[in-house]
Amino acid sequence: MNDYILKTNHLSKKYHHTTALNKVNLSIKKGSIYGFIGQNGAGKSTLIRLVCGLANPTTGTIELFGENNERELIEFRKRIGTIIEGPALYPNMTAAENLEAHRLLKGIPGKDCIAKTLTLVGLLDTGKKKAKNFSLGMKQRLGLAIALLGDPEFLILDEPVNGLDPMGVVEIRELLKKLNQEYGITILISSHILSELHLLATHYGIIHNGELLEQLSAKELDEKCQQYLHIKVNNPNKAATVIERHFETQDFEVMPDGSIRLFASVDLPGQVSKALADEGLVIEQFMPMGEDLETYFANRIGSGHYG
Amino acid sequence: MGNLLKTEWYKLKKDRSFWLLTGLLIALAVLYPIDKIGTSDLPNENDYYRGFVLSINSDIVRLLPAILAGFFFASEFSLGTMKSIASSGHSRIRIYFAKLTVFSIGSIIILLLLPIVMMGVSAIYIGFQIWPEWTFYFQTIGLIALYAVAFASIMALFSVIFADSGKAIAFLLLFLAFIESMLNILSAKVPFLEPIITHSIFISHGSILAIDKIGNWNGDAVLTFIIVPILTFVVLGILGSFIFRNKEIK
Repeated sequence: MNDYILKTNHLSKKYHHTTALNKVNLSIKKGSIYGFIGQNGAGKSTLIRLVCGLANPTTGTIELFGENNERELIEFRKRIGTIIEGPALYPNMTAAENLEAHRLLKGIPGKDCIAKTLTLVGLLDTGKKKAKNFSLGMKQRLGLAIALLGDPEFLILDEPVNGLDPMGVVEIRELLKKLNQEYGITILISSHILSELHLLATHYGIIHNGELLEQLSAKELDEKCQQYLHIKVNNPNKAATVIERHFETQDFEVMPDGSIRLFASVDLPGQVSKALADEGLVIEQFMPMGEDLETYFANRIGSGHYG
Repeated sequence: MGNLLKTEWYKLKKDRSFWLLTGLLIALAVLYPIDKIGTSDLPNENDYYRGFVLSINSDIVRLLPAILAGFFFASEFSLGTMKSIASSGHSRIRIYFAKLTVFSIGSIIILLLLPIVMMGVSAIYIGFQIWPEWTFYFQTIGLIALYAVAFASIMALFSVIFADSGKAIAFLLLFLAFIESMLNILSAKVPFLEPIITHSIFISHGSILAIDKIGNWNGDAVLTFIIVPILTFVVLGILGSFIFRNKEIK
C-alpha cells in the first residue's frame, strides 16, 4: 500500500530563461499536515499549480495517490480539494449558490452537503448576501468550504488564513486539525504566517529559489531548532569570560542589548547560573529558549530575516 | 461531461449579463413594434419579418453574444474560478466543450429572441397578415441558431486566448463589427481567396434574411449555409479546445 499521497520526482518548471522549480523531490505522507514554506516567488505556488494540473511540468513527474499516469492524475484530482492563490468565487452568487455550482461540478448527489459544509466554516447564516459583498475572511471561509465539498482525501491550501481575524485563524486551525485527525484528510498548506503553521503542521518542506532545501517532520524540526540559554547579567563581558573559562566553549553570542545566548551547556542551567553567581555577577534574566520556525527558516535560506 | 454541462447551465442561469441582454431584447421586442401600430402601408409577410425583425438581428443583435462571451467565458480566468474547474478532475477538452455548448445555447437564446418574441408581439399588435411564410420562418430560425453556434465557437476561442472579460469583449465587438468589410477588401485584392471569403460565415450570415426558401436551394447554398457553419464550429471548437488544453491557467 502506498504511504504517500503526493510525490514529485525531479520536478522542474522553466519559463523562458527563468527556472521556477528545479528538480524538486517532494513527498507528502498520507495523514500528514505538510507546511510548505518559502518566500514570495520561491516556487510554492508553481508547485501547487503543477500538482493541480493548471500548468505542465518542463521535466519530472508527479505521483498522486501512487499514480503518475496523466489520465489517472486527472481522475485522481477529483479526490483533492484546493484553494490556489486565493479563493475562487463567483461574485454574483451567494455562498450556497457558489457551493451548488461546485457540487454540480463534482457530481455530488443531494444538496445536504451544502448546508453541512457552510455550517462547518461558519457561513450558514449569510443568506442572500452575494460573495462580492463578503469580507476577505468570509471569502477565505467560502473558498475552504468549496475545497471541502465532496469529502476530499487531500487538501491543497495556498494561504488559507489570509485576511482572517485572529479568531478566524484559530477556528480555521482547529477545523483543519479536526479534518486531519478525525477524518484522516492529508493537508498541504502554504502560509506566510509561520507561527501559525508551527501550531498545525506535522511535516515541513522549505523551498527557496525553486529548490526544495529540506523536508523534515515537526519532531525533527524541534530537535534542530537550536536551543540556548538566554542570560542577562550586570556585566556581559565578564560573563563571557566566565563562560569561556568555566565551560571551555565559545559557542555563545553577546547580543546588542547585552544579553548572552549560550548554545552550549543548555542542559546544565543550574551549573551555568551557579558559575556566574560565584563570580559575583548579578543575574537579571536567565531562561532556556529556542529558535522558532521563523528563525529556523530564515537561517536555512541564509537570510537575516523572513518576509 | 454531464456534470460539467449541468454546472455550466447552472452558471448561465445565474449569469447577470445573460439576463440583462435577454431583458433588454425582450423590452425591445415588445416596445419597438408599438411604433408600427396603425401604420397603413406596412409590408406584408416575409418583407415585414425581413425588414423590421431580421435586419435588426443581423446588424446589431449578432454582436451581443460577445458580451456574454466576456462575462460567461473569459471572466472564469480573471475570477480565478477556472483554476477550480481545471483542477476538478475533468479533462480540459471536456471542460472546454461543455462551456462552449452552454455558451452556444446562450447565444442561440439571445439571437432568437427578436425573431420569436418581436414577431409574435408584432402579430398581436398589427395582425397576422404580417406573419412570414412558415417554411421561411423556420428556415431562418434554424439558420440563426446554426450561425449562433458557429459564431460562438469564434467567441469562445478568443475568450480563451485573451482570458480576460474586458479584453475579450472589446476585441470581439471590434472584430465582428469590421471583419466583413475587411474580408471584402481582402477578397477584392486577393482574388484566389474570394471563394473562401464569400462562403465564410462572416459574409454569408448577412444573406440569411434574403435567401430563397430551402426547397429551392442548390448545392452551393447548402454548402454555404449549412456545411460551412457546422465546419466552422467543429474546426474552431477543436482549435479552441487544443489551445485551452495547453494553456497555463493563472
